[in-house]
Amino acid sequence: MPILPQRTDDEAPADEGTLVENFFRHESGRLHGALLRRFGMGNLTLVEDAVQEAMLRALRSWAMGGVPPNPSAWISRVAINYINEALRRGATAAAKQTAVGVHWETEATSAPAQSGTTEEINDDMLRLLFTCCHPVISTDAQAALALKVLCGFNLAEIARAFLASEAAIEKQLTRTKARLRAAGVPFGLPADANLGPRLDGVLATIYLLFNEGYKASEGDQLLREELCVEAIRLASLLVAHPLGDTPATHALLALMLLHRARFPTRIDAHGALLRLADQDRTAWDQPSIDRGLVHLAQAAAGPDLTDYHLQAGIAACHCTAPDVGATDWSRILAHYDELLRRKPSSPVVALNRAVAVANLHGPQAGLDAIAAIPDPARLETQHLIHAVVGEFHQQLGHHREAAISFRRALALARVGPEQLHLARCLERLEAALPLG
Amino acid sequence: MPQPYLLLFRNTGPETHAHLSAAERQQLVERWNAWFVGLRDAGLATDGRPLELTSRIVAGPGGKRVTDGPFPESHEAVGGYVMLQVADLDEATAIAQRHPGLAYGLVIEVRPMDVTCHLGVVTGPA
Repeated sequence: MPILPQRTDDEAPADEGTLVENFFRHESGRLHGALLRRFGMGNLTLVEDAVQEAMLRALRSWAMGGVPPNPSAWISRVAINYINEALRRGATAAAKQTAVGVHWETEATSAPAQSGTTEEINDDMLRLLFTCCHPVISTDAQAALALKVLCGFNLAEIARAFLASEAAIEKQLTRTKARLRAAGVPFGLPADANLGPRLDGVLATIYLLFNEGYKASEGDQLLREELCVEAIRLASLLVAHPLGDTPATHALLALMLLHRARFPTRIDAHGALLRLADQDRTAWDQPSIDRGLVHLAQAAAGPDLTDYHLQAGIAACHCTAPDVGATDWSRILAHYDELLRRKPSSPVVALNRAVAVANLHGPQAGLDAIAAIPDPARLETQHLIHAVVGEFHQQLGHHREAAISFRRALALARVGPEQLHLARCLERLEAALPLG
Repeated sequence: MPQPYLLLFRNTGPETHAHLSAAERQQLVERWNAWFVGLRDAGLATDGRPLELTSRIVAGPGGKRVTDGPFPESHEAVGGYVMLQVADLDEATAIAQRHPGLAYGLVIEVRPMDVTCHLGVVTGPA
C-alpha cells in the first residue's frame, strides 16, 4: 500500500497548492490533538514520532512534487498510516494495546482521512492544552511540552526560548512524558469540579510562555516574538471555547494583546531599548489594542478580579494615553497598590509601583518608595533597579549618583538592547559631568 | 535548439531535514516550489516529481536477486528529479545553483540526456 499518494494530472501543476502561514507550526498541534484522541495518551511517544515522520514526508514530497490541494488531510493520512503500520508490526511497546490499535485501525482505514471540522479541531486542541498543563508536571515543564506538541517548536527552539541546552530540554521532556504516563493522565478535559484550578494552571503556563517571549529581547528576537504570538494563539483558542470563556482568560488575553501592541516600538533603529516615554505611539498596533480592550471589557463581567485583570488594566492605561503626559498614573498606581497587596513579597511589583509613584509624585517620592521595599537585597543583582534609581537621580540633578547607578545597571544587564540603552544614558550623563 | 537535462536530487531524506524548525520547513517548501514554477513558466522545466522512499533493486540472472534499495546510505539515493530543456550544460548547472535546497544540504546531479527515446520521439520543444 503506497503511503505517499500519487499525484494525478488534474492535481498538477504545483502553483495552486499553497500553505497557510505557519502551516508546519500549527499543524503540529492539530495533528497531535487528532491522533491522541484516536490513539490515547498511552501512545504519546508513537504519536510524536508519527507527527515528526508525517511532517518530514510532507516536506520532501511537497518540495519536489508541489503542495496537494488539502495538505491537512494528506498529512493526517500519512501519520495515521504510520501509526497503524507501527501497531501492526508490534514494533513498539505501545502496540501491546492491540485492542485499541485494531479498533482504530479498522476505523482509520475504512473512513477517509479527514482533517476534522473547525469545532472538532478546537476541541482536540483544548484537550491537548489541558493535558500538557496537567498539574502532575511543573509549570516550566508544561510550557516546554506545550511548545513542542501544540506549537511545533523543535528542541533547539525550545532550548533557545528557555535559555537552556538542548540536552537539558530533551531530558526534561522525557521526564515529563514518563510522569504523565506514570500518573495515567488521560487525553481529555478535567471534570467540572476540577475545572477552575486546572484552568488556572493552563493560564499560568500561557502567561509564562508570554513572559519568556516578552523579556526584553534576550537571545533571538524573532523567536521571542513568536513565543508571545503562540501564547496569544493558545489564549484565543481557550477563550473561544465555553470551558475557557472566563473573566480570567479574557483578562490574560487582554494583557498579552495590549503588551504585544507595543512590540514594534520597543527597540530603536540602532537596536537600543526604548523606554515607554520614548516610544512612537503612532506605531503601536491599533488592532491589537482594540482587541485587547474588547477582552478587557469582557474580563469585567462578574466579580472576579485576578492579577491578570490588574496587569491588563495597567497596560490599557498606557495603550490608551495619546502621549506620556496624558497617562493616567493615579489609576496605574491604584492597580499596583492592589497588586502589591496581593503579592507583598514581590520586589518586581514593588519596583514597578515605585515608577508609578515617581510619575505621580516626583522622582524623590520614587526613590523613597524604592527605599521602602522590604528585603531590597533580592533586587540588588537586577539591573532594572539600578536603571530606575539612576533615572530618578538624574531627574533630581544628582548626576554623580545617577552615573554610579547606571554603571551598576550596565554591569548587570545581559541583553544587547538594554546595554545599549544604558550606555547611552551614561554617555549623556558623562557629557554633563566631565569628571565622571 | 534546447537539449534535455536531468537534475537528480540527492540527500533529501529525513536525516537532512529533521533538525529544521517549522518555519524553515515551510520556507523550504515554498522556495523550492517557487524555483520550479519559475522554470516551468519559462518553459525550461518539463517534468519533476519526488520518488517514493520504498524501492527494490532487481539484479542477477532472471532477476532472482531482489533487495531493498537503493543504497545503504540513504543520502546517496535519488529523492526526486526535474527534467530541463535548456541550451547547454552551463545553463542547466546555473539553474541547479539557484536551488534553495542547497543551503539545507541538498545535492544536485546534473546529467545531460540523450535526445532520443524509446517512443521514437526527439524530445524538445513542440
